[in-house]
Amino acid sequence: MSKMALSLTINGERHDIITEPHRTLLEVLRGDLGLTGTKENCLEAECGVCTVLLDGRAVNSCILFAAQCQGRAVTTIEGLARNGTLDPLQQAFIDHGAVQCGYCIPGMILSAKAFLKEYPDADEGQVREALAGNLCRCTGYQKIADAVLAAARPPAHR
Amino acid sequence: MTTKTMRVVGHSLPRFDAPGKVTGTAVYAADFALPGMLVGKIFRSTEPHARVVAIDVARARAIPGVRAVITAADVPDVRYGGGIKDETVFATDKVRYVGQPVAAVAAVTPEAAEAALASIDVVYDPLPAVLDLDAALAPGASLLHEEWRSYTAIPIFHRDGNVCNRARIVVGDVERGFAEADRIFEHRFRTGMVHQGYTEPRAAVAQWDSSGTVTVWSNTQLPFEVQNTLAEILAIPPSKIRVVVPGIGGGFGGKLRVGVEHVAAFLAKKAGRPVKVLTTSDEELTAAYPRQGTVVELKTGVTKDGRITAKSGRIWFDTGAFAGSGPGVASVATLVLAGPYRIPNLHLEGVAVYTNKTNCGSYRAPSGPQANFAVESQMDVIAEALGLDPLEFRLRNIVREGDEGPTGQVLQAVGLEECLRKAAAAIVWDDRRPGPGRGKGLACGWWTTTGGSSGVYVKINPDGTVALNTGAAEIGTAALTGAAQVLAEELTVDLGDIGVVSADTFSTPFDFGAQGSRTAFAVGNACRAAVTDLKYRIFALAAAQLGVEPAACALADKHVVADGKRISLADLARLSQQTGGGLIAQGTFIAAPTAYDAKRVDGHAYPAFHSPSFHAHAVDLSVDPETGDVTIHRYVVAQDVGFAMNPKAIEGQIEGGVAQGLGQALSEEIVYEGGRVVNANLTDYKMPTTLDVPRVETILVEHPSLVGPYGAKGVGEPPNIEPPATVANAIAAATGLRVSVLPITAEKIALGLRDPGAAVSDSG
Amino acid sequence: MSFEYHEPTSLAEAVALGARFGVDGRFLGGGTDLLIQMRRGKVAPRHVVSLHRVPGLDAIEQNGGIRLGALVTHAAIERCVAFRGGLRALVEGAEVVGGHQIRNVGTVGGNIVNASPAADVVPVLLALDAVVTCVGVDGERLIPLERFLVGPGQSARRPGDLVTAVSFDTPTARTATAFLKAGRRRAMEISVACVAARLTLDAAGERCLDARIALGAVAPTTWRARDAERALEGRAPTPAVFREAGRAAAEGCRPITDVRASAGYRRLLVETLVSRALARCVERLREGAR
Repeated sequence: MSKMALSLTINGERHDIITEPHRTLLEVLRGDLGLTGTKENCLEAECGVCTVLLDGRAVNSCILFAAQCQGRAVTTIEGLARNGTLDPLQQAFIDHGAVQCGYCIPGMILSAKAFLKEYPDADEGQVREALAGNLCRCTGYQKIADAVLAAARPPAHR
Repeated sequence: MTTKTMRVVGHSLPRFDAPGKVTGTAVYAADFALPGMLVGKIFRSTEPHARVVAIDVARARAIPGVRAVITAADVPDVRYGGGIKDETVFATDKVRYVGQPVAAVAAVTPEAAEAALASIDVVYDPLPAVLDLDAALAPGASLLHEEWRSYTAIPIFHRDGNVCNRARIVVGDVERGFAEADRIFEHRFRTGMVHQGYTEPRAAVAQWDSSGTVTVWSNTQLPFEVQNTLAEILAIPPSKIRVVVPGIGGGFGGKLRVGVEHVAAFLAKKAGRPVKVLTTSDEELTAAYPRQGTVVELKTGVTKDGRITAKSGRIWFDTGAFAGSGPGVASVATLVLAGPYRIPNLHLEGVAVYTNKTNCGSYRAPSGPQANFAVESQMDVIAEALGLDPLEFRLRNIVREGDEGPTGQVLQAVGLEECLRKAAAAIVWDDRRPGPGRGKGLACGWWTTTGGSSGVYVKINPDGTVALNTGAAEIGTAALTGAAQVLAEELTVDLGDIGVVSADTFSTPFDFGAQGSRTAFAVGNACRAAVTDLKYRIFALAAAQLGVEPAACALADKHVVADGKRISLADLARLSQQTGGGLIAQGTFIAAPTAYDAKRVDGHAYPAFHSPSFHAHAVDLSVDPETGDVTIHRYVVAQDVGFAMNPKAIEGQIEGGVAQGLGQALSEEIVYEGGRVVNANLTDYKMPTTLDVPRVETILVEHPSLVGPYGAKGVGEPPNIEPPATVANAIAAATGLRVSVLPITAEKIALGLRDPGAAVSDSG
Repeated sequence: MSFEYHEPTSLAEAVALGARFGVDGRFLGGGTDLLIQMRRGKVAPRHVVSLHRVPGLDAIEQNGGIRLGALVTHAAIERCVAFRGGLRALVEGAEVVGGHQIRNVGTVGGNIVNASPAADVVPVLLALDAVVTCVGVDGERLIPLERFLVGPGQSARRPGDLVTAVSFDTPTARTATAFLKAGRRRAMEISVACVAARLTLDAAGERCLDARIALGAVAPTTWRARDAERALEGRAPTPAVFREAGRAAAEGCRPITDVRASAGYRRLLVETLVSRALARCVERLREGAR
């Protein structure tokens, strides 16, 4: 099994790794780079806990070869807060009680982040539709939807 | 119950562990890693019932990168288990379900581990498989456990061949009760096997040190129980085992008992390196601890004006190849079958039965949804037959303050009527059939706040922050935030001043575990006990510093105040550290046993509901008559929580519990054919998505518990109980179709509307 | 899963690699089907040829007809403004494929080559009489989609050939399309049954001139319900006629019973969804006319 050299840009930082072609982006993030904020579960793109942003779009990192991500920008949950300040979505999740066990949360926040960038005026139905690929077993999704809507329309801007 | 304004408890404060979770820095057991760690995987049976003729692991051991391959021959010959010690780590002479562990491997890479699994050869000699309850209970049925008599078991269990317990409640004389009835109703219900669906797989990392001590990092909900079980299995003292829970991505009862911890420990010992074992979705849906499928038979007698005179019934639990939680769950079920109703004559049985399927366990309110589905569905059928409003029929029969429960316990803090009336009002019950294909339904129930003991250490730091050290694991319910709120309230500090360390069998005090809706209740009470002790020390020190009597001291706003003087807790802690070893106290809590009438129960592991909660659910939905699709317009929950320690967190528990309950009600089932799961993946095990769960309106009712902290009762499990019955009742109101099998899929509804077969039998 | 990974930078290079590797190679579009099949052990190619550096494969072109490059993602179809009118069904099919994460990566070419009988966009393409462009070392072949779908998971693509595009004519002015899907939950669902309908009415809106009804998940491949289509020709666009077409479709299809649904329920769904999809086409034509 021959290895290949890959140069990946994760959260704005370049990482040069040498690995087998079959390694997925998820395996490289969690295993090689120690970025365990992106989670693993079904490994079949059914649950969404592995969601990251690829060039700003939400994708399941469990079914992407790391090799497919060369030359593209990967954003994980670790890359969201800036200089210690939480992203408004992260703060909204805290404020609205949208976090229970938390395992689905990194993927959920990233899906929401990508969606709100494109559809800042979404209503609850559209928010739920955007998050339909992220399963949560704890919350029933309600406070998650509330948090995303609140982050989209912060009080100062109303 | 004090009426003073609370500073901290009762407020919807953000949970203290949220920042770590939203930034991805919180570490879960599935994230945990050690240098040099090997990948562990389990080799599993492909036969539902067979003799193991031969196992050959030689080829597997020879694969490059493989560091250990173990079978039953490599582990002590021990049988373990909860109520019945019928389990072994690996199959010995027989396999009893597809998915049962037969061997395990540890290797340097996942690929080498997979190659090792593929190189293990096992010769099976198939035996007749017992595929369902009927097969297990038939005369002359193949025995799953030929040596069942030799197993160590809790003595009160009634075991017989494939029955691993028969629990019973008998009150009065049901035959006389039925004779007094004007009408008798008999129904049969069936519910499917469902999985907790936690998004984090079961995980364990095990590492041995040179003194023969093993540390296991795991996402178990019960670290102390796992410690004890590992001691039995490894045949070493518990003090040589340390179980640490870094973080749990959902449990719901599926992560109570050893899942992969023992395998990781044995592999690590054999390989001489740390080993991590993680389950896959396939393994979760074939070899975990799902909720038992059941069959329920219920016979209820009523007078023509709607008073229940007698109820007899039986619920069979298809508990799988090993008893697991089955015997205990069968006991709890009898209390759910009785329901929160005044019934003078009862004969209720819960039977746990072995079959050649995965051994089932506990899942959020074990037996609750299944038994409640039967009881509350039948209540509606009876109401309709009598020409009574289902709400009114319930109100005529529900228990009230001071009543006896089914096993004779005295019921206090009974908030059921308020829950029923508020849920009904919220759903606008007067208009039960607002349009064609649309209907409303309701259901009610009761549940326990499990007892067991919890201990905490509390320490005040020299900067005035407080360390709370608890043996409880936080599984996501925010229970530890609730307990910390109690601590903050009692010490007059802020929630943000409390730091929590938890769930390490070496360094944290014993806790009975995150199960049975008990954690906030018990740890909160332990904190109060600790503060009582702590105040002693604080006031003694403050009195000396301020020149006052200890009796004059009180806590206010992070200070001790007395006779117009004050000194901060921070100063006292600093002083104490310098001169007296610090301000530290210990607190323990154990729930006093609930008194009940022992003559009424038999084979019963759970004879009373401690500090019970009461709840009512109501739904307004429409059914597409052609496709059978269900659209929920509104869902309301009224739950008696005793005292709402953190309303927003409790709402979250209710919203999530309803979502899981709707999954069981409408779409989820682990499907077995011929002893094999045919939908062992998340494509075909259908959990609700954002688009499948309605907004849930929560009404928090407060009838304070006499024993909970500030009157709080357990809140986590109840919301899972009523959704199936609530939905079934609304579907019946909307379409006239009564579905008595879970899940109530669109297919069942569509086909049932075209041909209403004998879904329900009625001998009234 | 061990293989060699290739990243050709031109169509010619990709086609040459395909020919060289034949059955031992697979092209990688988004990978949403391929990776899962590789992980489950269903396919084990020795060579994976990624297409993401081949220019021009992700274009949506409109000139006379519509040409979707094989690497056009489901998300790109969802976003395409040109598909909001008579081609609504394309968006309706694309927007229910998995969740956003899948749609951002999964491609229409990959979906066609995967040839799942339960695919969502494929019935719409079939209802549009789409044609698949398949390129080998011996040149380009144009294969009607109906002939391209051979069996469950099987297509007429020769090993090593590359699907580069799928094309169809722009529907005429009095044509509307609709797509409906039935499943066990409202998202992240593989269809239990799905229907794509294309309906052309006469100028007065009183007669059906032409119809296509394509069904998913009720036959070994995505399937044209020709009896149902014929039942509509020249008839009035009424609920009773649509119901008749639905029945014809339900009778003609060949659903199986599996863990997702029984054959009987699938037939029932086909009858209902065909009639509803046709009704929706008529609604759209009336809305458009106003």
